[in-house]
Amino acid sequence: MADGDDREARVFTVETRFQKLARQPGGVSREKALENAAAKIEEIVPSFDDWVGQELEALSSLIKKAQAGDAPSDWIEGSNSHSRQIRDAGTTMGSELLTFIASSLCDVLDAIEAGAECNIESITCHIDALFLARQRQFRGMKPDQVPELTKGLRRVVEVVSTTPN
Amino acid sequence: MTRPTINLRDLVVLIADPSPYISMIAHSILRGFGTSKVLEVRNSMGVVQTLAGQKIDILLCDARLPPHGGLSLTRAIRRKVDNENRMIPILVMSSDTRETTIKQARDAGANMVIAKPMSPASLYDRLAWIALTPRQFVDAPTYFGPDRRFKIEGYPGGVGRRKGDHIVDVAEEAGPALAQDDIDNLFSAARMGKD
Repeated sequence: MADGDDREARVFTVETRFQKLARQPGGVSREKALENAAAKIEEIVPSFDDWVGQELEALSSLIKKAQAGDAPSDWIEGSNSHSRQIRDAGTTMGSELLTFIASSLCDVLDAIEAGAECNIESITCHIDALFLARQRQFRGMKPDQVPELTKGLRRVVEVVSTTPN
Repeated sequence: MTRPTINLRDLVVLIADPSPYISMIAHSILRGFGTSKVLEVRNSMGVVQTLAGQKIDILLCDARLPPHGGLSLTRAIRRKVDNENRMIPILVMSSDTRETTIKQARDAGANMVIAKPMSPASLYDRLAWIALTPRQFVDAPTYFGPDRRFKIEGYPGGVGRRKGDHIVDVAEEAGPALAQDDIDNLFSAARMGKD
């Protein structure tokens, strides 16, 4: 296709195997499918707390090494990877607050990767917030239920993102 | 109103995500939908090898899939002329939902983009759209993939689109994260003459 730049676009109809099979009768209703999916998620909820704990420990360890000047050169990308995973899993697993805090931390790390000044406290305060959000009394909470926390983190991101080099 | 049902039981779904835990979540949701065969890979090479080795019906691909990202992989799958999986449905999963990223996914040949963290309802509705909404393919010098001018009329049967929803105006390239409805609407922007 690459050598025919003056060729006109060809538009054609496709019916994929996915479409053929998915349209077959015998599927479960949307409501039942969602109910079943929610039940499947419930089955893995017990593993979520352990998993978040492991991710947080790995994240915390990287930041401590960075503070000590002993971190690998790609510690920001490594930290961002842990943070992204917590962000991407949190809300689905019932913890919107974890997703909010991790997303905020990703913004901080993205800003640092893009050249903003590396203020380690802007990272550690997010990690403290993540550990806090993991505690029993914060489970199931939404960001708007802890306005002081969310406002504070937003301010941190704002300051980090606007600090000149 | 009777809502259309999709039958995912006999499908083979490939999840391509670098995170084992995120993959497990998607895997669990699909199991809940009744899908019996779900495979997982962690990088683009895994996708290529799996596609070469067996029949896959739909690919769920993370936008940050190593080493070059899910959009690059999508583009490669679509552009390779002798690839028998060239027209496989590809659903890109992305936590970066800025307008520019969604447009890049669309232009790479993705069927749809689903925002992370994803909900079961969000995934089900996008699978239903791909399954039930007829969509042509375009083979052009600079693009091969699903027709980017298709119009989302809402989930078949009237679910998934709110009464007040409207077609989004396509603004400058950079911008804030988009909500799932706005992501869906970006796929229709071309037909509206806004992109």
